[in-house]
Amino acid sequence: MKAVVVGAGFAGSLIAKALGDNGFRVLVLEAGAEVNVDALGRFRTALVKSPLRPYRTTTAAPSSDYLLNTGPFDYASPYLRINGGTGTAWTGITPRMHPEDFHTADLGRGRNWPLSYADLEPHYRAAEWEIGIAADADEQRQHLPVADGYRYPMHALPRTYLDHAIASVVDGARIDGRELLVVGTPQARNGVPVPGYEPDGHLCAGFASCVPICPENAKYTPHRTQKRWPATVELRTRCVVDRVHADASGRVTKVTYQRYEDDTSGRHTRHEEQADVVVLAAHAIENAKLLLMSGLANSSDQVGRNLMDHPALLTWALMPQAVGPFRGPGSTTGIEVFRTGAGRRERAPFRIEIGNWGWGWSAGSPDSDTAELVAAGLRGTALREAVADRVNRQFALQFEIEQEADPANRVTLDHTRRDALGNPRPSLHYGLSDYVKDGLLAAKRVSDRLFELLGADDYTSYKPDEERYFEHAGEPLRYWGAGHGGGTHVMGTSPRDSVVDQWQRCWDHPNLYAVGCGSMPSLGTSNPSLTMAALALRTAEHLVGEIRRAGRVKMSKAP
Amino acid sequence: MDAFVELSAELTGFSAEELRSTGLVETYRALADGAPEHEIIQLWYTGVWRGVIPDERAYAEGLAWKAVGVAPPGTGAPGFGSWERRPRRSTR
Repeated sequence: MKAVVVGAGFAGSLIAKALGDNGFRVLVLEAGAEVNVDALGRFRTALVKSPLRPYRTTTAAPSSDYLLNTGPFDYASPYLRINGGTGTAWTGITPRMHPEDFHTADLGRGRNWPLSYADLEPHYRAAEWEIGIAADADEQRQHLPVADGYRYPMHALPRTYLDHAIASVVDGARIDGRELLVVGTPQARNGVPVPGYEPDGHLCAGFASCVPICPENAKYTPHRTQKRWPATVELRTRCVVDRVHADASGRVTKVTYQRYEDDTSGRHTRHEEQADVVVLAAHAIENAKLLLMSGLANSSDQVGRNLMDHPALLTWALMPQAVGPFRGPGSTTGIEVFRTGAGRRERAPFRIEIGNWGWGWSAGSPDSDTAELVAAGLRGTALREAVADRVNRQFALQFEIEQEADPANRVTLDHTRRDALGNPRPSLHYGLSDYVKDGLLAAKRVSDRLFELLGADDYTSYKPDEERYFEHAGEPLRYWGAGHGGGTHVMGTSPRDSVVDQWQRCWDHPNLYAVGCGSMPSLGTSNPSLTMAALALRTAEHLVGEIRRAGRVKMSKAP
Repeated sequence: MDAFVELSAELTGFSAEELRSTGLVETYRALADGAPEHEIIQLWYTGVWRGVIPDERAYAEGLAWKAVGVAPPGTGAPGFGSWERRPRRSTR
């Protein structure tokens, strides 16, 4: 049984391993190149340390910077075409979705999943062990059902000094009738293992650069899973799949791809590969692009639609005392009470991350502080002390706002504007509904209340000349991209209105799977990589089961 | 006497000894000797010279980070759980 997996990122690497372990021959075709060895140096010398900066991408397989925006708002989230995918640069924060998030349509907005939290729960556990998650089950039970007796493979990471400072004030306080509680956030970075778990890589040493690069190899990336691939899995990088081919019955027969050697041009050679099963795992936008280019899987007219992200609101302030930002992971706790409940009928729910890297993302600290204080005339010891005082008291809140599935937010192909390989560039028509804007506004108001409780000096400002600025209900707002694209090959219960079924199998093609965040009918308010991983493992289990049921392959391993 | 180091010390609030220990005096002299004050300070504090960070060391030795008392992200490993401790006050 021969499987072709398109994309060597998070979902593709996990599925390739599971299939390879269970008797499949697997070819993984990755559009990007291997990760450049000078990534850390490029990070250090980058003026703006944005997520893609350390990584060298190729002319033939550009990353998200080749997207075209045509909608009322810009789609703000980057992704990376490189071996390991965006999972190379990700933050490594892995909360589960909340049970409510699987039936958002019933709550008034968006779409329902064809499966429940309970259906996915065993796969969450499997994914947490495969990736290596540090968290405490009892602590997670404060806001989520977690199976009795379950242990995460590693104990929760220590909280930051900032987390303690905030929890000591806000725990037990109320905002909008909700009792606040600072809860540890599950982390895909190495802590202290429980008996029976042997982590890959090193213990997190606190480099404070998790996104985009962990110098310590303490953060999970798909490269770890690739190292566990059996010999039956072959990876070919620099291979851009440009078409999936199906026969008259709808069965997929092969993929064609463009292979390049030169990273600086579109020069390439053409190849093809037969397959019994094809799994698209190239990122939500790239999967949609490839399905559209292939003219497949779109009897529902939903391919490319329902593009979602987490529009993120950043707010930033100074604590009354030094809290020591820029030490350790970017966020080790959050406030989860605004993710659920009746309020989400009225406005988008949100999750709050307590941000431990000062105003780095929101305002470019400490360079911006230095510039401001120098411009104010400070020199010498006064400057040194002012910078120390300013930065040491900084913290930020990051609100991840749910964005409901909306068919008008969509990926299409721009045939008039092509990339270096001659393929149409993805065109995004993206907007924010009033539901999302109301969520952003509600988040801002919660931020105001939190800063008040903390006695913090609020320095948040959104200005009309800044990117992604807008006004809503007369108030200035701004959103950032959290990097959580999804929805573009949406999962559902019917081929009439969805692209894939609950197994991420295309309704129109029995041996074509489109996996990843693109399958998600709602993103809820959780960073989605863990859910993507759980879905990938569930799909792999299903695929292995299908083949076994069909009795067409001798299994290399007992179940 | 080294006029560039002396001026740099006066502007940055770091001693000549602290500046020399960065290993960047010669690099920065070549770039910034005679430059306006704010450019000299920006170079020492952030490693940025006219929109460019000339090398990794310039970033790693940024005085803004030293003033705060932490390593610039991606350059130092203070150790597992160190982030839970009360922060060091500024280096003065």
